[in-house]
Amino acid sequence: MNCYIPENLTEALEIRKKTHAVPMAGGTDLMVQAKKGIGINPAFKTPIMIISYLSELKGIKVEDDGTLVIGSLATSSEIADDERVFYPIRKAASLMGAVSLRNTATIGGNIANASPKGDLPQPLILLDAELVLSSIDRERMIKVDDFIIGAKKTVLQDDEIIKEVRIKPVKATHYFYHKIGTRKANAISKLSLSILADVEDGILKDFRASSGASGDKVKRSRDAEMILIGKPISEIASHIDEFTSAWDRILSPHAMPQYRRESTRRMLSDFLIKLSEGAEPGIYE
Amino acid sequence: MLDNKISFTLNGKMVEFIGDPLRRLIDTLREDFNLIGVKEGCGEGECGACSVIKDGKLVTSCIIPMGAVNGADIWTIEGIRETELGKIIIEAFADGGAVQCGFCIPGMVLASYVLLKDKENPSELEIREAISGNICRCTGYDLIVESIRLADERRRNA
Repeated sequence: MNCYIPENLTEALEIRKKTHAVPMAGGTDLMVQAKKGIGINPAFKTPIMIISYLSELKGIKVEDDGTLVIGSLATSSEIADDERVFYPIRKAASLMGAVSLRNTATIGGNIANASPKGDLPQPLILLDAELVLSSIDRERMIKVDDFIIGAKKTVLQDDEIIKEVRIKPVKATHYFYHKIGTRKANAISKLSLSILADVEDGILKDFRASSGASGDKVKRSRDAEMILIGKPISEIASHIDEFTSAWDRILSPHAMPQYRRESTRRMLSDFLIKLSEGAEPGIYE
Repeated sequence: MLDNKISFTLNGKMVEFIGDPLRRLIDTLREDFNLIGVKEGCGEGECGACSVIKDGKLVTSCIIPMGAVNGADIWTIEGIRETELGKIIIEAFADGGAVQCGFCIPGMVLASYVLLKDKENPSELEIREAISGNICRCTGYDLIVESIRLADERRRNA
């Protein structure tokens, strides 16, 4: 048998452990990769498990301490339409593909596919999002940044399924999200960047950035971010070169590297200039 | 666990599919149910020619396996054209000159239907967003956008 259709999570985890069947959520990546042609059924190299019916993996909720929990089967449309979802994730979800793709593609699938150009890992890594990975024997938590280890590579074990994404509330006064694609709709990221800043009493209390489509996986550097964290806003301008150079060193774009490096540098420095000039709290694009 | 028997509603009628659960919804619709208004363009979920409405939402049937449609409510152009709103949209497309070769039109009508069923008087941006996953290589979209607006006007004045 080459396809399993479990009706609940326990059944799915038993099948997963026994057969190592690959979980298929929306199918927007897997169905395309296995496509054979008109009228011909897709051919998969491994057994497949259609997980669309697992209600345990659906929905978006906020826990008492403010932690946002997004079920791995939540579609991009559901995420984009839910105002409780933190801004950069919601924005990234709203810019994925076009309407019908967003109605089908899931957050779990986007993470498991681990494409360097995938839209959701980038803001998730900015916000230190964690995954709950379930297997029949255990459950473990792992940061999205540690889960994706390279282009199309993750540490998902062959008995595990991504159950949900958990994001603790983050204190921030300023957000920036920008995706560069070739069109307004249906665009795959050429480059993407999100930034979070938290300014309190003139001090940059927190600063984070996350670069998509600029290497084998989403790039983030706490070391580079530390250059700016704790600095008074009045001193930010004098550290822009040091920061953007440090950031540039973590990027490893495989194609059009000069374009990707220069565009990233400009987006970062434009935002930092605004911040140093006392930009109002809010969302910047 | 579900087996290889998939039951779903198709254009308002309960139907059954027995076969490979990884068979694509588009192939089942066209070849088993003879609903050839569903077109295959790119086969990768990008162009919208194979659009159908699944549980009230626009989806591309070329990337949906049959195993994922058990209990779903599926509508194709063959069902939507019999509805009141469907008729208004199709007439507006004809009157507005929205159709040239016609290949994208079933998908365009379904995308318009999903937009208009929930929204009266949509803005131009909302119309363009609603059909942004449906690629037309003939018209340049303007006549389609105007026809959707015409359909909305007629629906509101009906």
